[in-house]
Amino acid sequence: MSLWPVAAVTFLEGIRNRAIYGITIFALLLLIAGNLVAGMIMQEVGKVMVDMALSTIALSGLLLVLFVGINLMAKDLDRRTIYMVLSRPISRPQYLFGKFLGMVLLIVTTIAIVSLFAVAAIQLTKITYPDYFAHFSWASIFLSIALTTLSLILLTALSFLFASFVSTSFLTLVLTILSYLIGHGINDVKALIEAPQQVGIQVTPFTVKLVQGVYYLFPNLSLFDIKTQAAHGLTVPLATIGWTVTYGLGYTAIAMLLATLIFSKREFP
Amino acid sequence: MRRVVPILLLCVLLPLHVASLRSAGSAWKALPQGEETAYAIPAPILKLTALEFDGLASDFMFLRALVFLGSTFERDNWPHSVKESEWRGLYRDLSAATDLDPYFLDPYYVAQASLTWDGHLVRETNLLLEKGIRTRDWDWMLPFFAGFNSFYFLQENEQASVYLMESSKRPGAAPLVASLATRLAVKGRQTENAVIFLEEMLRNEEDEGIKKNYRIRLEALHGILALEKAVELYAAKMGKPPASLQDLVAERVIAKIPVDPYAGTFYLDVDGSVKTTSDLREAKKKPENDKPQPQQKTAQPGKDAAPLYELPF
Repeated sequence: MSLWPVAAVTFLEGIRNRAIYGITIFALLLLIAGNLVAGMIMQEVGKVMVDMALSTIALSGLLLVLFVGINLMAKDLDRRTIYMVLSRPISRPQYLFGKFLGMVLLIVTTIAIVSLFAVAAIQLTKITYPDYFAHFSWASIFLSIALTTLSLILLTALSFLFASFVSTSFLTLVLTILSYLIGHGINDVKALIEAPQQVGIQVTPFTVKLVQGVYYLFPNLSLFDIKTQAAHGLTVPLATIGWTVTYGLGYTAIAMLLATLIFSKREFP
Repeated sequence: MRRVVPILLLCVLLPLHVASLRSAGSAWKALPQGEETAYAIPAPILKLTALEFDGLASDFMFLRALVFLGSTFERDNWPHSVKESEWRGLYRDLSAATDLDPYFLDPYYVAQASLTWDGHLVRETNLLLEKGIRTRDWDWMLPFFAGFNSFYFLQENEQASVYLMESSKRPGAAPLVASLATRLAVKGRQTENAVIFLEEMLRNEEDEGIKKNYRIRLEALHGILALEKAVELYAAKMGKPPASLQDLVAERVIAKIPVDPYAGTFYLDVDGSVKTTSDLREAKKKPENDKPQPQQKTAQPGKDAAPLYELPF
């Protein structure tokens, strides 16, 4: 199996990347800010702190995928080091999946580190204001972190798909950011389009079909966002989690398979 | 020698930087600017642009409202110096915060504490509370608040009774709520019911600033309640209602007329109800009003709500 060496190299390269330190320091600063902001809240201090913590985790994960992940994948293509790699006894799918595996490891590690800080920050706030954590559950917080991680993995797979056919890493970055924006908006847009009278807008049947088409094409990232539920300690039904995880893994698999197909056929200049 | 020129240039540029920023900053301040609370972003757009950070955006909108409300305490003659459009702006911000995260308690809480007593946006507050009553289905305080508003400000006892029934069904509700709900169906006893409401709200309040507010209101209500009972006693004793409150003292029904904590004087209205002069302007706005509106034109801002907004830094 030549999957692991590629994964290991990718992971180590990612760890060595200075950007990770930046992301971690940024996350720490946000968590300190969260602690201060939570002190301004009268009733639901816990909710605000959990909001801040989970958003920090999601944002640092996003930065990691966009600015470290895409570079790791695209650098080989940009700098033409891909020739050296592909001249080795390693198939293109193996190379691609190895890279992906390394990136997944990197995401999980970074999220774990930032989550550790986040949990410490929440715990600190909880000790400072113990009376304001009425509806609070660690289980739903960790569930939310897990789903965020899955959505980041999905986004990475999508960025691999883009990288497999566009020529520069910058284009991959733009396409991935667009997918992220669409992915988080599509749920709300679909709801709006399907019940336009509620907000008093008019939509043509064509728009409805277009949005419904886009809904199946782009990832629905809102499904992975249970931060509000986690912040209020509400339970999310097991079936919802099950379907979301299935969807996430399925979408990731489809994106990676398509990426492999395109990448195998690709000719390098 | 080569370094001298850049260093000299820096020495000139740094003061220039400070000076230019100061001038530009003050010049910018002089530009005409929109009111802080004048704009409101529709909820669907907010939800769309907040991406996966709905909760954070909700916190932000709430803090924006809180900071604005806090800034009005600096004005003289609070809350009358706050324009109606500003109260509406505050309502819109709180409404946006709860659109983004309908489970968030604090916006409902601030709306109840400021928009009703001081902002006179009672119907809007109840509309806001409705959202919270639907989502926070474990919380008995929100329907209790809405019930109080319906009863006290809007004088809609039936609606109030509905809210209180809902409140009494929820876990943790004081046993009093259920009996209050049934009492409301009975006409009269307005002041007594208001006292019970306020005592319950006082019991559940932890914030010292709001507690102080409630206590003053309660004191005024107790005064009116005592006078109303005395008027009833007088009528039973003498066979006719008193001509003025002084008659009560003259006939020794009560020792003395209580003091209105809002610096007004209690008096007997032509319709036989007890009123206070600190409430005259409010009474004109609501003709059917036969109860005190404890907030009055000379309320002291610092005393009223400042401790609510003590910031940790």
